[in-house]
Amino acid sequence: MSNPFIIEIQHLTKTFKHAAEPAVDNISFSINRNEIFGLLGPNGAGKTTTISILCGLFPPSSGTVSIDGKDLHSELSDIKNMVGIVPQDIALYPTLTARENLSFYGSMYGLYGKNLKDKIETWLEKLGLIDAAKRQVSTYSGGMKRRVNLIAGILHQPKILFLDEPTVGVDVQSRNVIIEHLKEINARGTTIIYSSHHMEEAENFCTRVSIIDKGRILTQGTPAELIRDNAGSTNLENVFLNLTNRKPRD
Amino acid sequence: MLHKLLATVKKELLLLLRDKVGLSVLFIMPVALIIVMTLIQDSAFKSINEKGIPVVFVNNDQDSLGNQILQGLMTNELCYTTDSINGKPANSELAQKAVSEGKFLVGIIIPKGATAAIRKNVTALVNETINGEAASSILPDSVEITILIDPVAKKSFLNAVTSNLREFISEVKTKIMFQTFSEQVAELIPDKEQAPKNSYQKSQIIQYKEIYASNATEKIVPNAVQHNVPAWTIFAMFFIAIPLSNSILKEKTEGSVFRLHTMPTPYLLLVNGKIIVYVLVCLIQFLLMLAVGKFLLPQMGLPALVLGNSMMGIFVLTLATSFAATGFGVTVGTLATTDHQAAIMGSLSILLLSALGGIWVPSYVMPEVMRNISSFSPLNWSLEGFYKLFLRGGGVADILPEAGKLMVFFFATMAISYFVNRKKRTV
Repeated sequence: MSNPFIIEIQHLTKTFKHAAEPAVDNISFSINRNEIFGLLGPNGAGKTTTISILCGLFPPSSGTVSIDGKDLHSELSDIKNMVGIVPQDIALYPTLTARENLSFYGSMYGLYGKNLKDKIETWLEKLGLIDAAKRQVSTYSGGMKRRVNLIAGILHQPKILFLDEPTVGVDVQSRNVIIEHLKEINARGTTIIYSSHHMEEAENFCTRVSIIDKGRILTQGTPAELIRDNAGSTNLENVFLNLTNRKPRD
Repeated sequence: MLHKLLATVKKELLLLLRDKVGLSVLFIMPVALIIVMTLIQDSAFKSINEKGIPVVFVNNDQDSLGNQILQGLMTNELCYTTDSINGKPANSELAQKAVSEGKFLVGIIIPKGATAAIRKNVTALVNETINGEAASSILPDSVEITILIDPVAKKSFLNAVTSNLREFISEVKTKIMFQTFSEQVAELIPDKEQAPKNSYQKSQIIQYKEIYASNATEKIVPNAVQHNVPAWTIFAMFFIAIPLSNSILKEKTEGSVFRLHTMPTPYLLLVNGKIIVYVLVCLIQFLLMLAVGKFLLPQMGLPALVLGNSMMGIFVLTLATSFAATGFGVTVGTLATTDHQAAIMGSLSILLLSALGGIWVPSYVMPEVMRNISSFSPLNWSLEGFYKLFLRGGGVADILPEAGKLMVFFFATMAISYFVNRKKRTV
């Protein structure tokens, strides 16, 4: 029987140069195949650092990470082929059109020719961008940019998709479109690791969540389990506030 | 991999074509620079070599010395000599006033009786030699020629004029000596047929012939165009460091680099896409500058650029310069963390390297210390190579050392960029 976990993290720690405290402090957890795993936490909790390490952007200070049975340190190039990322910031070239951006990013994942072209057209159509596809991205609204940003991460049908705040700053309509299509991608077999501040969205979207703060995991489970286990909580947001303190974060 | 490389090249081309300011920096600025610098330097060049240094001549002597110096200066290409000011014969006071007002760079005043004084001295010398008369009667050779100098005149101009003046005086003095000597000897020899003739006056025992040491089949005359077109083209090619480093920094600030680093595409492939596009830009820049030198500058009354004998040599050197310039741009973009830093670091370092490299002032006029430093500038290697091709008629083999150094510079900058990039990611 194959390994039920697609990601296994053991004692992962990351301390940046000149930082007094580690950004990620000895965390261990596993993510099941085909689940939508939520990584929730306030600003500076260590969500983006964790995702960046899992994507191979920079190495951890210590600990081990295995992705689909491959070691992150020694088999990074294989891992990069199977993951997709939708970063928190819009990672697009503003002076290129949506089609040109997607064509470039798709090519970097090894897609080319008709296959690439068909995928671009399909996704532009699905996310309501086909009419604006010839326009430079700099002319797009925030919601449109988010949708192109999402397509750039999923065009190559990755096994694992990392989403870092994919719906931040977008209108309700765009958010719904994005979430619906993410569910569709998950239904086709892509494991999703999702980071967000939006608790209601996470409660409805994620199959399991982990709440982290100051680089440490505070709790983990399905949204229903976390609500049940935290007395007085009626939703995930109550759980989150109870665990991470109600004071505003920098 | 080829698809990825082509996609990167396409992306870079599109980004560049849509960056109007960047394009103007790459193409319009160097054309303007070449035209302006060549026109300025050509007019300075002409003021010395064509019209000549303006000289006013006051001939109080009105005899052999004064007349022959005036005649010599008037036929000399270096000077534009006149013995009148505003239509009036020049005298000492008028000459001093005109030079002080900047109407002439140099004034020369030959004193009254200068020729007579020389003759007297020479006669006394000859008498002493032939008749054994006492030397006590010999007057010192003390003809005093006054040279008025405009304080703004360059030392080199002044040296050129005084050197010519000394040459004429020496020539005239020799002629007078021989003439007096001949006359004295003629008096001693009763048979006039045997007396020495003054044929030496017309003879030119030593002559000068100027030949430019070039292997070019076409006659190449060093001028402002031959120097400025390659110099400023190299400067422009290295100036691509600014848009190139900006393109690298934009990827960092606009977030694309985050996605690019998580993709299964090596850093070198992404950088190679940039290199291909910017090397292409450098080649186009070079062709454009050559066209300006060959076709546009002659329309403005300047000499046309002469390319020498070796098109292959030009291609090899241009390619090597393009790679060196691109590698430099990649390094600036990698080292800088903001676009302000890149702009300042890029422009200042290029200005410094170009000044050291002999783009602004030829390296041969620099002090020895600076000349030694100059030989470390990649712009100097390239310029020396183009001088070999454009002025000395060299071929591919002649420029291989320069092209080799430029390629070593390219590989060194790429290695620095690679390791700095790796180090920056190991946060």
